[in-house]
Amino acid sequence: MTGHPRERPSRLSRRDFLRRSAGTAVALPSMSAILAACSKPGSEPAREADLLVPRPDSPVTLPMNGDPIPADTPIEDGAELLIYNWDAYLYKAVLRRFVEEYSDHDITFRAITTFNNMDEAVAKMQAGQIEADVFFPTIDVVPRLAVAGLLQPLNHELIPNLEANVWPVYQNPYYDQQWRYTVPYVVYNTGIAYRRDIVSDDEIRSLDNPYDILWDPAHEDRVGVYNSYRDTIQTALLRNGIEDINTDRQADLDVAREDLLEMIDLVNPRDSINGAYKLLPRGDFDVHISWSGDIAAGWGYVNEYTRAEYEKLGYWFPEDRRGNVDNDCIAIPANAPHPRLAHEFINFMLDFQNAMDNFSWVGYQPPQNETDVSSLTSTEGLYSQVSGWAEPAEYVLPWMSDAVIRREDFDVGFRQAPLAPEVDDRWHEVWQQYKAGVDASG
Amino acid sequence: MSTRRAERQRIRRLTEPEAAPGGVNLPRWFWPSFTLPGIVWLLLFFVLPLYTVIAIAFGTVDPVLRTPIPVWQPWWWTTSHMTEALDKAFGIFSPVYVRTFLYVVVASAISLVLGYAVAYFVARHTSRRKRALLLILLISPFWISYLMRMLAWINLLQPEGYVNEILTFLHITPEPIGWLEGRSITVILGLVYGYIPYMILPLYAFLDRIDQNVLEAGRDLGGSPVSTFFRVTLPLSRPGILASLVIVSLPMFGDYFTNTMLSGSPNTTMIGNLIDDSINTTGQQAEAAVLILILMVILIVPIWYYLRSTAKAAEAR
Amino acid sequence: MSQATAERATAGATDEPRAARRRASWRRNPWRKPRILEAVTWAYLAWSIVPLTVAILISFNDGRSNASIQGGLGFTWWWSDPDSLFKDPELQSAIFQSVRLSVATMLIAVPIGVAFAIGLDRWRGRGSGAANFTMLLSFVMPEIVLGVAMFMVIAFVLTFIPLGTWAQVVGLVTYQVSYPVIIVRARMLAIDKQYEEAAMDLGAPPRATIRRILIPLLSPAIFASFAIVFADSIDDFVTVRYLSGPATSEPLSVKIYNFSRGSPTPAINAAATLLMVATTLVVVLGYLGYRAATRGQRREGVQGLAGQI
Repeated sequence: MTGHPRERPSRLSRRDFLRRSAGTAVALPSMSAILAACSKPGSEPAREADLLVPRPDSPVTLPMNGDPIPADTPIEDGAELLIYNWDAYLYKAVLRRFVEEYSDHDITFRAITTFNNMDEAVAKMQAGQIEADVFFPTIDVVPRLAVAGLLQPLNHELIPNLEANVWPVYQNPYYDQQWRYTVPYVVYNTGIAYRRDIVSDDEIRSLDNPYDILWDPAHEDRVGVYNSYRDTIQTALLRNGIEDINTDRQADLDVAREDLLEMIDLVNPRDSINGAYKLLPRGDFDVHISWSGDIAAGWGYVNEYTRAEYEKLGYWFPEDRRGNVDNDCIAIPANAPHPRLAHEFINFMLDFQNAMDNFSWVGYQPPQNETDVSSLTSTEGLYSQVSGWAEPAEYVLPWMSDAVIRREDFDVGFRQAPLAPEVDDRWHEVWQQYKAGVDASG
Repeated sequence: MSTRRAERQRIRRLTEPEAAPGGVNLPRWFWPSFTLPGIVWLLLFFVLPLYTVIAIAFGTVDPVLRTPIPVWQPWWWTTSHMTEALDKAFGIFSPVYVRTFLYVVVASAISLVLGYAVAYFVARHTSRRKRALLLILLISPFWISYLMRMLAWINLLQPEGYVNEILTFLHITPEPIGWLEGRSITVILGLVYGYIPYMILPLYAFLDRIDQNVLEAGRDLGGSPVSTFFRVTLPLSRPGILASLVIVSLPMFGDYFTNTMLSGSPNTTMIGNLIDDSINTTGQQAEAAVLILILMVILIVPIWYYLRSTAKAAEAR
Repeated sequence: MSQATAERATAGATDEPRAARRRASWRRNPWRKPRILEAVTWAYLAWSIVPLTVAILISFNDGRSNASIQGGLGFTWWWSDPDSLFKDPELQSAIFQSVRLSVATMLIAVPIGVAFAIGLDRWRGRGSGAANFTMLLSFVMPEIVLGVAMFMVIAFVLTFIPLGTWAQVVGLVTYQVSYPVIIVRARMLAIDKQYEEAAMDLGAPPRATIRRILIPLLSPAIFASFAIVFADSIDDFVTVRYLSGPATSEPLSVKIYNFSRGSPTPAINAAATLLMVATTLVVVLGYLGYRAATRGQRREGVQGLAGQI
């Protein structure tokens, strides 16, 4: 019987122990000195650095920090499923269906623990604050968490739907070869959501640089950005034609920083995490950086649930599809109290019908083989069907067709990849300066 | 002669510290031992955390995980975080510090003017029954959640909320105003709304204790109400005003949630937001510790003033 | 002209200046009623309280908006809608957590604080100054400093304390322990030592004296401390947010903060109203207990409480 995941011998347990004991007894002058003293000279630190920055052209196989749970582990009876996720990122009806399906194991569910952005989620997981069975990370934090021993490896015998149902591009993803720790959850791209009654479709598409609309003083006080450093800085990079959205060049970051600081003076932007799907439909914003799934779900948050109101929501993504296209993942934290149940849940979410029903509420498209992407703008989803008080809405409203993700998008689009710690620090510096409202330098 | 000795004896008895009850029957450690649980608790959960902040501010950061590593021995402290943060404080982040000072000064001033008027009225001009009712209404914000009071204002300040409805109905403004769109005035008024009870109650307590006779004397001697106020009441209430100003401005300096809830724009960021953002970001937690130390240094004068005046007041009693 | 009209005419002729004279004399009268101050006071109270009544009213909103009443009033968000207060496990767990935290804090902080106050008052040695100073410092420190410091110590030093309810209670007690000390000390200055001395002269052991003389004499302050610590910790935000762990350990204040930037349903107003009613009840109970305990010595009542805050 394997012990608790945290107790498994892991390559990092010594560092973890040292890190913790440093707090109580001895002061460690520098971490690298310890690493040099305690590990094989030369090999470990170098591999660490590579592991943390996978790229589509240099994929990474994350080290196994233990064994996955055996396939014959019984489903934990009477368990309360604990989920750590973004807000409004999982359809409760699908969750209830899961609980019902496993009712003979007396599974319950109470509340989803939410985080406001990935920084917060990672900080809390590293502080040991979170106890969850399933976690929904973005790609850029997966290697870091796996290397730190905060995720547990998956047992693929328990999740057959993964290979059977999911798009080929995700068979063996670059950031987690062999899917050791994660499965893909949904796919999306990042563009700009706008109110079609204030900014017409033609207006934004006829701009030389549609990204400029976020800097347009005509929309002063009504521009929104995401409270997420990667997505907002990346928007500034793309506006300036910098296509490496994982850049480590300081010159690029300086350009982005200047643009963002200029944005503060021009339009007084506000940051939110739910602005695209909740606040823009409500009228608080004219334009907002948006993930495709956010605006696709926006019809559920308008003031009156009529087609006329739905028509006020618009979405733009570069026509040549050269923008950020990506996926989110599901993973199991190392300290999950019910890992077997977590595997069942992951397999459940990879089922075609469950994934599509989730899509109808969340707005984010699953990378399912069975999905007919060309019909998404003409088919009504489950959530719309059960919402008798709202006029019908398709999975993706026809006038937001930019939000439909096709497999070919991954051939031309840019993926957000994890950043090296030192580079990540510099990105965070830019973000900190933006949030502090620093004056743009002369 | 004997009266003078009796007088001296009386004065000695008055100024001698009173012996605790029990006299010689109780060991010397008996009464102080009562403070033991409190002292242990404060040492472990107040003094130690403050030292941890210092240890992290002068400590190092794990290169891979970028978590802070506290360094306990002062001779191994690194000052890199401190110098970096101070550079930023006087450099690119100086607008944030200036803005925070501005907000706190304006909000405290508004609280003072409004709060003094209310406290003065309740202390000096109300009958007993009316005063009880007014006091209950004035104390009520203390047990109503600050968050709920802010939520109430967010409800009212929405573009389609009642404030805009009334303003447009009365034709004071032609169009609904975006109160929550990142405006300084909303944040300042939010701070006033949230913290003014901390101004009114201490002021009230202080004004209540001013001898009515002194004020009456001023008026009896022919001063108009206005001149009596400026020449008698106001100087007498100066200690109370200063103490209340300190009580009301201290929490404002560390406030971050008022800005996040009522604005969310980088143009209204306060020092508290810098701290809150960095504590939630991997790699910036050492910076958060330094910011806390900077905040404490900024506040050391008002805190010291408050502690000293409380000690003096306690002695006087 | 008749006599009456003549009188009325002369009266009318002097009406204007008489009113003006009345106003002027009102202005100059040192004993006049302060109409302006009174108006300002009531205006302030309205500004302070009306938003809350509107927020409570909106909790009874039939429509989904939390900005204005749509469609009339009802109990939609209290128990009908699936996202309503009585049906949403998240809101309920938040309310339970708020109550749990404040009860636990109250039960720990008040005894420690009362003992601290008794000891401080009677301590003649040199350490009392330091103890007193530390306690006062914890009272006057801005909460964000305490919150961040506690988070750092629990996340990086005292790691055996899990973040969540335990950590939150520890943080809250630290933040609140100075209140009972200050309140009880103020009360101790007012009570007479002669009762204790008499009891001890008559042979009562110190423990019995404390239990049967001192504590009852201090009971108004103890009641007030319980009520104040409860009311203050049930609404606490900064400390509990930094020390929170899983979702179930987030009290209502944190939930309000998280939801406020979105578009929450009136169910959150309902939750906040419920908590406010519960707290009011506790405060009223505390006050009644205070009054009962000061029976016979009462000369202050509400004003006494106000003076101690």
